[in-house]
Amino acid sequence: MKPQSCVNIKKEWDIVGARQLGRDIAREIGFGTVDQARIATTISELARNIYLYAEHGQICFEVIDTFEQKGLCIIAIDIGPGIEDVGQVLEDGYSTSGGLGAGLPGVKRLMDEFDLQSEVGKGTRVKAIKWLR
Amino acid sequence: MDEKLKKMAIENSDSIVQLWMQEINSLKLDNYTASISDELFESTNRQFVNVIFTSLKNAGSPKAVEEFSEKIINLGWPLSYITDGLQVFRRVTVDYILSQYEQLDSAFISNVLKSVDTWVEPLIRQLVNEYSGSWENTVSLQRVALQELSAPLIPVMDGITIMPLIGTVDTDRAKLIMENLLDGAIKHNSEVVLIDITGVPVVDTMVAHHIIQAAEAVRLIGATCILVGIRPEIAQTIVNLGIDLSKFPTKSSLKKGFRTALELTDRQIVDLGNRADSIEQMIQSLKGE
Amino acid sequence: MRIPILKLHNYLLISIQTEIDDQTAIQFQEDLLDKIHKNGSTGVVIDLTSVDIIDSFIAKVLGDVVTMSDLMGAKVVLTGIQPAVAVTLIDLGIHLKNVPTALNLEQGLIKLYQDSGE
Repeated sequence: MKPQSCVNIKKEWDIVGARQLGRDIAREIGFGTVDQARIATTISELARNIYLYAEHGQICFEVIDTFEQKGLCIIAIDIGPGIEDVGQVLEDGYSTSGGLGAGLPGVKRLMDEFDLQSEVGKGTRVKAIKWLR
Repeated sequence: MDEKLKKMAIENSDSIVQLWMQEINSLKLDNYTASISDELFESTNRQFVNVIFTSLKNAGSPKAVEEFSEKIINLGWPLSYITDGLQVFRRVTVDYILSQYEQLDSAFISNVLKSVDTWVEPLIRQLVNEYSGSWENTVSLQRVALQELSAPLIPVMDGITIMPLIGTVDTDRAKLIMENLLDGAIKHNSEVVLIDITGVPVVDTMVAHHIIQAAEAVRLIGATCILVGIRPEIAQTIVNLGIDLSKFPTKSSLKKGFRTALELTDRQIVDLGNRADSIEQMIQSLKGE
Repeated sequence: MRIPILKLHNYLLISIQTEIDDQTAIQFQEDLLDKIHKNGSTGVVIDLTSVDIIDSFIAKVLGDVVTMSDLMGAKVVLTGIQPAVAVTLIDLGIHLKNVPTALNLEQGLIKLYQDSGE
C-alpha cells in the first residue's frame, strides 16, 4: 500500500480541490472515464458533508495495490457532531440540509465497498473503496 | 561427479531411449493417447527424447524445446504427456545408471538422484510454462472476443442506433452495455436508441433494473431509448415481478420499434408502389391483346 | 467567478466550461432568473458538454433552475451531458425526471422551437 495523501476541507473551494486530486489519482491508477467520474463524485459528496456538517475535516486517498487486486480507498474523517441515526442517513431521500438526500446512499452505490462509523459528539469516518475491474 | 554421470547417460543414450520407449508405450495403452496413430506417437516420442538429450548435452537449448512444446500444443495433446514423459525419463535414467554399478552406497544413490533431477527440472519448468502460457493466451483472447460480442452497437441510419442483446445479462455486462450505449449514442449522434432484448433468455428484476437504468441514462444525455423484442413470457414475468416499465416506450418487435424511432425523428417508410403498378400495367397490356 | 449567459432572440444560451463550485452554481441560478425576467425569454439551453462532474448538490441546483424558469415561463433544456456524468447521476439515484434533455446545443434549440410551436 502506498503512503496516503490527504486534503484538508475547510473552505468550499476545498471540495473542488479534493475531487480534482482524487480524479488525477484515479486516472493514474488506470480507472476509465466513468469510474473517474464516480470517484470524483464520491469525493465531492463526502467533502460537502464535511463542509456542511463538521466545518472541517480531511479527505485521504490510499492506493491499494496487492497481489490480488488494485483499487482506490477514500477515507473522509471529521471531528464534527456525528450522526445520530446511521441507518436513516443511508436511506434514499433523507436530508437535513434541503438537498436531494442522495449523498450517502448514492456514494454507497457509486463505490464497491462502503463503511460508515460515527459517534455523536465525536465525529464521523467514512471509508469507500473502488476496485479496478 | 555430475559430469561423469551425464557423460555416461549420453554415451548410453541408445539403451536409455529404448527403455524409455517401452515405458511410454505401455502408458499409451491405458492412457490419454489411445486415439493417436502409432506412427505419429512413435515419431513424436523420438522427437521428445531427442529434445531431452540435446538439452542434456549443451545444458539447455531453448529453441528446440520451444519448437517441441509448440508442436505438442498444436496437436492438442495433454500436458500430462509431457510431465509423464519426463517422469519416465528420470526413472529410467536413474535405474540405468544404478544398474551399471555393482557396489552402491546411499550417498552415491542420492547423488545420482540429485543429478538426474537437475537435468530434468529446467525442462519441466520450461515446457509447463510454454503450455500454461498458451492457455492463458487462449483465455484472454476469448475474453476479448466475448467482450466485443457482449454489447454491440449498430448505427442503422442517421439518428437511429440499435443495440441487440443476446444471452444472459449480469452486473459486469450491464455496466459495459450502459457505457457502450451512452458512448455510442454520442459518437453516432443518435436521437433514438433501440435496445433489442429478443435474445435475452431471462428478464428478472436485476436485468430489468439494469435496463431501466441504462434507458434513464440515455435520456439524460438527450436521446430516447426504446425497449424492443419483448416476448409474451417476458411481458408476463415483468408484470408478475411488479417491474414498472411504463416510463419509457416498449415495443414487441424491432420492426415496430424502428417505426416508432422513425416517427420520433420525423421520418416514415414510404411504399413507392412500383411493383403493384407494374403488375397492373402487365394485366392491362394482357387485356389489350 | 460567473458563468456567462448569452442572449439569442427569445432564447438564452449558457455553456458551462469550468469546474463549478457551490457558490458559482448559486450565483448562476440568480443571474439566469434575472436575465429571464429582464428579457422575457421563452427558452433556455444549458450546455454541459465540458462538465465532467455533477454531484448531488449541482444536480439539485440544475433541477431547481429548470423548475424555477418553468414558473417564469421559460422552458429549459439541458444538453451535452457526458456519458460518465449520466452514469454517475443514475448511480446516485438522481434521475432529473422533469428535466428535458437533448444531445447537443443544436438539437436543444430545435426542441425548444418545436415545443413553443405546439
